Amino acid sequence: MTTATPMPTRRTPLWRNVRVLRFVLQVVFLVGVAGLLLYLVDNVVGNLERLGIPTGFDYLDQPAGFAIPDSDFSSAQSLGDALIVGVQNTLKVSLIGIVLATIIGVLVGVARLSSNWLVRKSAALYVETFRNIPVLVIILFWYLGVVLRLPPIGEAVEIPDLLVISNRGIAIPWFDKVGEGFAFGLVALVGLAAAVLVWIWRTRRFDRTGAPHRRMLWAGGVLLAILAVGFFAAGSPWALEFPERGERSTTGGFRLSPEYAALLIGLALYTASHIAEIVRGSILAVPGGQSEAANAVGLSGWQRLRHVVLPQAFRISVPPIANQYLNLMKNSSLGIAISYYELTKITRVSIAQQAPAVQAILLLMGIYLLISLSIALVTNLVNRRLTVKGRR
Amino acid sequence: MATQIDVLEPLPLPEGPPERRLPPREWVRENLFGSVFDTVLTVLFGLFLAWAAYRVGKFVFVDANWEIVERNLTTLMVGSFPRDQLWRLWAALFVLAASLGFGAGAIGAQRRREVAEGRAQPAPKGVAARRLAPVVLLVGVLLWFSGSLRNVVLVLAVAAVGALFNLVGRRAPRRLERSVPLLVLAGVLLAFLLVVAFGGVKWSDWGGFLLTIFLAVGGILMSFPVGVLLALGRRSSLPAVRLVCTGYIEFIRGVPLVALIFMGVFMIGFFLPQGVERPDNIVRVLVAFVMFTSAYVAEIVRGGLQSVPAGQIEAAQALGLSPYRTTRQIVLPQALRSVIPALVGQFISLYKDTSLVFVVGLAELLTIAENITKQPDFLGQGLIVETLVFASFVYWTGSYWMSRESQRLERRLGLGER
Amino acid sequence: MSVFKGLALCVVFSAVLLFGVGCSIGGDDDDGGEAAGDTGQTEATGQEGGASLLQEVQNRGTLRCGVNDAVPGFGFIGEAGEPEGFDIDFCRVVAAAVLGDSEAVEYTVLSAEQRFTALQSGEVDVLIRNTTWTSSRDGTEGARFLHTTFYDQQRMMVPADSGVRSLEDLDGETICVLSGTTTELNLETVFQARGIDYEPLAAEETEVLQPAFIEGRCGAWTSDASQLAGIRSNWPQGQGGPEALVILDEIMSKEPLGPVVRDGDDDWADAVNWAVISTVAAEELGIDSTNVQQMLDSEDPEVLRLLGQPAPVEAGGEAEAFDAGLGLPADFAVQVIEQVGNYGEIYERNVGPDSPLELERGLNALWTDGGLQYAPPYR
Repeated sequence: MTTATPMPTRRTPLWRNVRVLRFVLQVVFLVGVAGLLLYLVDNVVGNLERLGIPTGFDYLDQPAGFAIPDSDFSSAQSLGDALIVGVQNTLKVSLIGIVLATIIGVLVGVARLSSNWLVRKSAALYVETFRNIPVLVIILFWYLGVVLRLPPIGEAVEIPDLLVISNRGIAIPWFDKVGEGFAFGLVALVGLAAAVLVWIWRTRRFDRTGAPHRRMLWAGGVLLAILAVGFFAAGSPWALEFPERGERSTTGGFRLSPEYAALLIGLALYTASHIAEIVRGSILAVPGGQSEAANAVGLSGWQRLRHVVLPQAFRISVPPIANQYLNLMKNSSLGIAISYYELTKITRVSIAQQAPAVQAILLLMGIYLLISLSIALVTNLVNRRLTVKGRR
Repeated sequence: MATQIDVLEPLPLPEGPPERRLPPREWVRENLFGSVFDTVLTVLFGLFLAWAAYRVGKFVFVDANWEIVERNLTTLMVGSFPRDQLWRLWAALFVLAASLGFGAGAIGAQRRREVAEGRAQPAPKGVAARRLAPVVLLVGVLLWFSGSLRNVVLVLAVAAVGALFNLVGRRAPRRLERSVPLLVLAGVLLAFLLVVAFGGVKWSDWGGFLLTIFLAVGGILMSFPVGVLLALGRRSSLPAVRLVCTGYIEFIRGVPLVALIFMGVFMIGFFLPQGVERPDNIVRVLVAFVMFTSAYVAEIVRGGLQSVPAGQIEAAQALGLSPYRTTRQIVLPQALRSVIPALVGQFISLYKDTSLVFVVGLAELLTIAENITKQPDFLGQGLIVETLVFASFVYWTGSYWMSRESQRLERRLGLGER
Repeated sequence: MSVFKGLALCVVFSAVLLFGVGCSIGGDDDDGGEAAGDTGQTEATGQEGGASLLQEVQNRGTLRCGVNDAVPGFGFIGEAGEPEGFDIDFCRVVAAAVLGDSEAVEYTVLSAEQRFTALQSGEVDVLIRNTTWTSSRDGTEGARFLHTTFYDQQRMMVPADSGVRSLEDLDGETICVLSGTTTELNLETVFQARGIDYEPLAAEETEVLQPAFIEGRCGAWTSDASQLAGIRSNWPQGQGGPEALVILDEIMSKEPLGPVVRDGDDDWADAVNWAVISTVAAEELGIDSTNVQQMLDSEDPEVLRLLGQPAPVEAGGEAEAFDAGLGLPADFAVQVIEQVGNYGEIYERNVGPDSPLELERGLNALWTDGGLQYAPPYR
C-alpha cells in the first residue's frame, strides 16, 4: 500500500469558524437580552426611588389592615400572611374545582358516546354550549344571575338538617371537633398498617393459588372496620353539625360563600366541557380493533370498557387533561371579578392599601409559576409512569 | 422492444359503506328504548330537557326585558365609536364582504376542479348554507334587536355584494389561483384603513364587539411570527438561545392572563423612563395578549416541528441546503401545515379571552354589557342577566362557527385520523 | 400559497397595526399646546436632571386628571355625558391655573384599587378622586397630599326598617364596603376594637354594591358620609327612594379628602396646591366669578396681589405684579375664579344645601365661620 500524503492542515479563519460563530452569536444574543432586562429594571428602580416607594420586599411584614371575608384572618396579621390566605383560597377553589370538573367531564364525555340518542345529544348540547362561551361570562352569570338571586337570609330556603340556601351562602352539614382526636389518629395509623398487611397477604395468596385476590375489597374493608370501631371507642371525636338559619347568617355546618360557590360552579362547568371533549377524543382514539377483539373474546360491554378501552384511553388523555387542570388553576384568578379573595384579589387589595405595585405583581406571578410548575411536575411523573416502553 | 407506459388514470375514490336508514319506529326503538336502562335514561333526560327548554324559552321570549339591549345595541357593537362615522364601518363591511366572497368563490372553484379530477370527495348538498348558519343567526338576532329597516337593507346589500363577488371568484381564471389569498388580505387591509385612515377613527376609540374582534385578530396576527421565532429558538442548537426561549415560554405558560394584563395596563408606566408618552390602553392590552399567545403558539409550532420526520432534514442536508433554506422551505411548511387546526383553536381561545379585559375596564363587549346596566334608566332592575345572555350569545356564535370551520378544515386536511 | 408568504403577510399586517400605534401615540399632541409664554420667570425643575411635571403639562397643553365616575356630587357622569362634580371642578381649577383653560382636561376614570398605581406610574398628573389623606399613603404610596378640599367622616348606612340604631346592633351582619379604601380599613379597626362581629363584602365598584344592598346580600353600607349622601339621594323610587335609607350618626373616622400628586416633584405640587388654595383665598376676600372683573380695580392690596395686579403706585414709576415663583402665570387666580368659581361657589354648585346632596358647609365652612377652610397668606 502506498502511504498517503498527509493533508495540509489549514486553520479555518475565525470569521468562518463555525464554533467561533456559534459562541459569538450566543454572546451577542445574551448581551441583547440582558441589556433589555437591565434597562427595564433600571427604569423601575429609578422611578420607584424618585417616588419614594420602597424597592424591597419588606412591605410583606407590615400589618395588612384589611379583613378577608370568610376566614379567620385578623387585620393585624402581616401582608405576607394575607398572601398565604390567598394561596389557600386559590387552592381551595382549584382542587375542589378539579375534582368536580373531572367527575362531570368524564360522565359527559362517556355520555357523548352513549347508544341512547337523547343522552348523546344532551351531552353534545352541554359541551357545545359551555365550550364556546368565555369562562368569565359563565362565572359572572352564575354570580350575578343565579347566586345573588337566591332569597335573602330572612327567606332562606331550608331543607331541614341538610341545607340552608340564601344569597349569603349555601350552608352544608360538616364535621365539628368535639373531642380529643389524638387517640383516633393512632387508631387510623393502626388501621392503615393493617390494610397494607392484608393487601400483601391477599397478593401473596393470589400468586400462590391463582384465586382472585379482591385485595382492594379486603384491604378497604379491614381499614373501614378498624376506623369505625376506633371512632366509637375513642368517644366519637367528630360530630356532624347541621346548619341552622340565623337572623343574619347561618350557624353551624360549613358555609360556602356566594362568591366561592359561583366561582367553583363556573370553573367546574367550563373545564368539564373541555374534559368531556378530551375524554371522548381519547376513547375514540383507542383503535377500533381493540373493541372488536374484546367482543370476539366474549367480554361484556362493561368489561370491555373497564379492562380494554378505558385504560388505554386514560393513558392518551392524561397530558391534555393535565393541561386543563392547569387552566382551571389559572382561571381561578378570575375571582377578582366577583370579589372572591383568592391570590390575585388579595394582591390587588394590598396594592391599593400599601404594597408597592411592581413587587407585588412580580410576587404574584412568581407564586402562580410555582403552583403551575408543581402541578406540571406531578402530571409529568404520572405521564412517565403511564408511557408504554418503546413508544415516544 | 419499446416499453409502453400506460397512461395513469386517477383511481376513483372508494365509496363509504351505505348509510343505514331505519324507519322511524325502529329508529326510536333502537336508539331510545334499547334496554330498560336506556328507557329510564330517555324518560329522565326527556323530562329534564323539556323542562329546561320551557324555562329558557319562557325567559327569552316572555319574561326578559330586552329593552336594555335594544336601546344600547350600537354601544354594545362599537362602544363609543363616533356615531357620525359609522358609515366607515358599513363601507368596511362592504369591502370585507367583497374580498371574502371573492376568496370563497375562488376556493370553491378550486374544490370543484379537484372533485372533477377525482382528487377529493364531493361535498354533500346544502353544506354551504349549513356552514353559514351561526353567522346568519347572529346577524338575524342583531337585526331584530336593532329594529331598523335601514339596517336590514344595508345587511342585505352587504350579503348581495358578497354573493356577487363569490360568482366573480368562481369564474376567476386559473392563473390567478396563487394570488387569491393576497387579494383577500389586501381587501381586509383596505377595510381596516377605511375605518382608521383618511381622517378616520383612531383605534383607541373603538369599543364593543368591534374591539373584541380587533383585539383577537390583531393579537393572533402579531403573535404568530413571534411564536414561530420562539419555537425555532427553543429548538436551536445554541444553548443560550434555547435557554432564554424555553424560560420565556414556561414563564408565560405558568401565569394567568389576568396577571399579564394587570402588569401591562397598570405597570407599564414604571418600566418606561419619565417623560416618555405612555401608550394607549388598547396597545398595552394587545402587548399583553401577544406576549401570552405567542408562548402558546410557540408550543403548538414546536409540536409541528417535532412531527416533521428527521429524514426530511437529512435529505435537505444531503442536497446541500443551508440551515436557513432547510427551515424555510422544507421544515416550516410541513410543520405549520400540520398544526393549522391547533392554531385556529388558539385563535378561538384568544377570541374568548378578550373578555378578560373586563377586569381592567377596557370597553369591549362584556365590559359594556355590564356597564349599561348602570345607566340611570336601568339601574337596580337586575337586567344584568339579559345583557350577559346577549353577550354570551354573541361570543357563542362566533366561537361555535369558528370551531365548526376548524373541524371541517381538519377533516379536509386529513389530519387527526388514525 | 407558501406558508412563509403567510408569515410575511402577518408581519406586514403587524407593521400596519404598529403604524396605527404610532398614530395613536402621537395623536394626543394634536391639540397643540398653548404657548407657555406666560409661565413665571423661574425655570420649573422637579428633581435632579428631569424637568418638572409642571413644564411637561404646560408643553402638552392638557391636564390629565384621575377622577371617579360613581359618586354623585363629587365625580360622576352628567346628563351631557361629561364628568361633573366637586372633584371635577377642582380638576378644572388646576387646568385654569396652569394652562389658562379650564376645559383643557383629560379625565381618566380610576377605581379605588387602581388610583395610586395610576398616579405613581405617570398615567395621571393629579388625582382628585375623593382620596383620604393618610400617613401610609404619604409614605409608601409615593403620594403627596395637598390642601384638603373636603373634610368628611365615615358613617354607616342601613335600611330604615332594619331597626338598627347603633353600630353594636350590627353584630354578625354582612357589611358592604368599597375595597382599596380607607373605609375598608377603618371598618375593620372600629369593629375589632368594639368586639363586633361582621362579614365584609368588599367590591371594587359602587354599582356592584348597590344591587347587593338592595337584594339583602349585605345589611349595611359604610363609606364617606358625602358618598352615602349622594347614593341615598339617587336611590331609585322603586326601592323606596331616599326615605328607605338611614345614615347613622356615629362617626367612624376622619376622612380629609383632597388632591394628590406624586412624590418627588415639589414644583408641580406647589403649583397645584396654590391653585386650589386660591379658591379658598378668593372666598375669604369676597371675590367670586361674578365680581372678579370689578375686583381687578380694587383698592385692597391683598385682592390685587391674589389677582396678579400690580398695586397702584402714587409717585409714578413702574409697578410690578406679585410673582410667588410658583411657575404659574401671574393672573392664574383670575382664570380660576372666572372660569370655575371660588370655593363657596364650587361647594354650593355641587354638594351644597340646594343641590341633591343637601350638605351643609359644616366643617367645610371658612375659618371665619367656624369651619376648617383656611388659606395660607398669598404673599
